[in-house]
Amino acid sequence: MKHVALDLNFGRRMLQEHAVWFVLLLLLAVAALVSSAFLRPSYLLNTLRQAAPVGITAIGVTLVMILRGVDLSVGAVISLAAVLCAVLMDGQAHNIAPAIALTCIAGAAIGLANGLLVAFNRISPFILTLGTAIIVYGLTQIQSGGTARGIVAPGFREFLNGRIGGVLPVLSLALILMALLGIFLQSTTRFGRSLYLIGSNPDAAELSGVPIRRVMVLAYTLSGFCAALGGIALLARTGVSSTYAGRGYEFDVLAAVVLGGTTFAGGRGGVGGTIAAVLVLFIAFNLVSLAGLQFPAQLLVKGAIIIVASAAYEAIKR
Amino acid sequence: MRERIRAIFLGGGGIHTALAIIIVLATAFVPEFRHPDNIVNVLNQSATLAVLAIGQTFVIAAGLIDLSVGQLMSLVAVLISDLMAGRSALALPAFCLGIAVGTSIGLVNGVLLNILRIHPLILTFGMLSVLQGITFLYTDRSIGQVSPEFLRVASGSFAGIPFSLVIVIVLASTAHGALQRTRFGWHLQAVGANEENARRAGINTRGIKLVAYGISGLSAGLAGMLLAGRLGTGYPNAGSGFELDAIVAVVLGGTSLAGGRATIPGTLAAVLILAIASNMLNLLEVPAFGQMVVKGFIVIAAILLTQRRAAAV
Repeated sequence: MKHVALDLNFGRRMLQEHAVWFVLLLLLAVAALVSSAFLRPSYLLNTLRQAAPVGITAIGVTLVMILRGVDLSVGAVISLAAVLCAVLMDGQAHNIAPAIALTCIAGAAIGLANGLLVAFNRISPFILTLGTAIIVYGLTQIQSGGTARGIVAPGFREFLNGRIGGVLPVLSLALILMALLGIFLQSTTRFGRSLYLIGSNPDAAELSGVPIRRVMVLAYTLSGFCAALGGIALLARTGVSSTYAGRGYEFDVLAAVVLGGTTFAGGRGGVGGTIAAVLVLFIAFNLVSLAGLQFPAQLLVKGAIIIVASAAYEAIKR
Repeated sequence: MRERIRAIFLGGGGIHTALAIIIVLATAFVPEFRHPDNIVNVLNQSATLAVLAIGQTFVIAAGLIDLSVGQLMSLVAVLISDLMAGRSALALPAFCLGIAVGTSIGLVNGVLLNILRIHPLILTFGMLSVLQGITFLYTDRSIGQVSPEFLRVASGSFAGIPFSLVIVIVLASTAHGALQRTRFGWHLQAVGANEENARRAGINTRGIKLVAYGISGLSAGLAGMLLAGRLGTGYPNAGSGFELDAIVAVVLGGTSLAGGRATIPGTLAAVLILAIASNMLNLLEVPAFGQMVVKGFIVIAAILLTQRRAAAV
């Protein structure tokens, strides 16, 4: 009898922790009723490509939120990265690699600053990262002079928007690799275990010798780094390098992370759920644009989807 | 000793010290700042954010958050400007419309929160997107014109006292009284401090949260009308970004983002600091981009000084 009860609890926990996967299956079932094209692997790979900027950024934010933090500066970092990368490339193909490297370093540096301020002052990361976001937008403006600046090098967009072997889009592969890296970090490394420990109970973690400051700084740095990659992916997808390219992305990312099961209270969730949630949001957006709605109507439905999907998720969890 | 000095200057009333410092700096180093016209201008400019932040103080004190208010301001500004089209006769109906739209969207937030039980940040972000869609379905460019009464209330003054200052003072004293002197205010802060405990103590937590969102929506309606009065027309992007400024002001003012503690005077002081800082930088002819950088540093410096404690998200 006891075993049965244990199994029931186990099943229930599985259901609670992976509720977003059920939402994803539900949505795919609905989408399949609309058109069987939604079930083709090529469609799913394409969705991953579309979702790359938000998805890659969300991986870093997930790590930060597991340890009970939050990072609202990612939208600003995405914008900065898009502008910086375009400016550094300056239309020259041989500049591509250094531009990408420097952009990632810049993103990581902003994350590092966030991490140091949060770890050594114990201030609200919500407001702190809002403040950093304002500064980063200002810096981006100064750099861009207020208009779209910089020239994307030839080959940059072609490569990142291309497909390996004519099948696998490069950006989808990038998202998948980053997700695998995130899952590896969170579940097999000491850093990952520390994230969950700190998120569940910071005081207990500190008392048991977890180097919480170091872990926090590393997590925020990774978040800045991922946001920079997200900005580069956005630049590849749209070619636009304006100051506000990434404006509002922080909340799309946050919606995905929370929907994916990583709560504001920290200590639970993970990158896998986040990726499922990103897929839920983008498949839903695709359904909306398939219906031929105008942009304002798409915004309206996007909001409704975020609310309904979160509600469905909460209902399944309960 | 260091802690004691910090407690005197920056403890509970830290934000007021910061306000005093910035006023002294501005008066001492920026001669144009002292001009009465400029001071009226600063007060008028800050009134919109002040009204919005007063409403946001209620939701944040209840442990919630409202990201939808900026877009709600835009929607209200568009609707009332289109209704009035410059006619004085329609000023009163437009005012009532603004109140009604603001309050009802706020109540919709509250009802959805209570039924669906999703995180308030996600709920109101979804609502932001919905309201953006509705506003742009209605119009994608500036529309209508406000009546002369709205222009006068938003930018004019009587005997040297700006009307908007009177509005802010009346709203702020009402809000302060409601938070600190009424059962509703205590219950609100109890819900913010610990919802489960509040519920077990017999507080109608759902009712409290519903009213908090209603107040936030109402304040967004009023702020949207003030903004329309300043702009003269209904611009569908008018309120974009105001929600974040309001949240920053509320938290800098000393209302805990984790809920449970509210201070209207703190919120007002923070709004004034932001307004005076931006006015000073304008007068010193710092370019707009540099202003953003400075504003960001002010926000970070202020939280480092006032929020130094273990904080939740």
